[in-house]
Amino acid sequence: MDAEVFQNRVLPVKNKLFRFALRMLGNEDEAKDVVQDVFIRLWNGREQLADIQNMEAWCMRITKNLSLDMLRVQKRRGTHTMNGGFDIQHTDATPDVKTELGESMQNVSELIAALPEKQRQIIHLRDVEGYSYNEICDILELDMNQVKVNLFRARNAVREKLMKINAYGL
Amino acid sequence: MDSKRLDELLAKYWNCQTTLEEEQELRRYLTENDVPDDVMPVASLFRYFEQQGKMAVQNDFDRTVMQKVVQANRARSGKLKALVSYSLRIAAGVAVLVAAIVLVRQELRKSDSVAVNGELVDTFDDPKEAFKETKRALEMISKGFGRAEQQAKKINTFNEAQEKIQRQLNKNKEL
Repeated sequence: MDAEVFQNRVLPVKNKLFRFALRMLGNEDEAKDVVQDVFIRLWNGREQLADIQNMEAWCMRITKNLSLDMLRVQKRRGTHTMNGGFDIQHTDATPDVKTELGESMQNVSELIAALPEKQRQIIHLRDVEGYSYNEICDILELDMNQVKVNLFRARNAVREKLMKINAYGL
Repeated sequence: MDSKRLDELLAKYWNCQTTLEEEQELRRYLTENDVPDDVMPVASLFRYFEQQGKMAVQNDFDRTVMQKVVQANRARSGKLKALVSYSLRIAAGVAVLVAAIVLVRQELRKSDSVAVNGELVDTFDDPKEAFKETKRALEMISKGFGRAEQQAKKINTFNEAQEKIQRQLNKNKEL
């Protein structure tokens, strides 16, 4: 693979990787660093890329692993925010985005940010990126049952809380 | 989309039974249309997904990545060059060592007549012959010493003559 092919065929997946890393890390700069790292690893190992069947899923998996590594380092250093066992991350907390979002969308953002990590990853991959269940299994290295159970729990947790907010303004 | 279809798709969606196409259909309807109030919370969820799916990294990201890729390439080729250089040095060292060993072995083979298993051996089996040879060698050395002594005497005569001339010159000066 030469630099031109890399730029035209591999780099375009950057936004999906960035959004996934951002979902996990909650910080744009860190998410960008992770995605850059993914691409550099991919470039350095380009001789072995012929063996990879689904390049995009492979990139997403590396993004997940590097993001988890970064989270572990942050937790070890005590720089990662923890709250009641859930990672509260405001992925779209920049002022510009806040103004664009309506109040209800802001509620949704917070509800999803409050989901357990695995559920958050799965609902993102399915409902934001539109991956098939098989692709999600491949990216997250989970079996189909785990993916469906976690997606079911994630969707229904969000639904339940949305209904409460709508009914009682909670 | 009529309300019956909407209810049907939403029920499937909450139970994770929708296909990707059906989820797309729901997303299109809920993000692009005015929806009844009771569906608004669900619409906000799908609008959130839609908005999230449009987030992108900054435009200069590609350039930054390509720069880093080039840097990583350079660092890699630098490491390769260093590896080749070290390998050549090691190979040269090994070659010198091997050459030295070969030369030393050749020298040892040449001197096999003199030394066996690293120990000196006699060159004569008969002690009388050895004594005769030793005597001859000592006489040769003695002859050499004698010749050197004769030459030294000549030098001595020359020195004495030089001293006499010097003395004579001194006397002439005094007169």
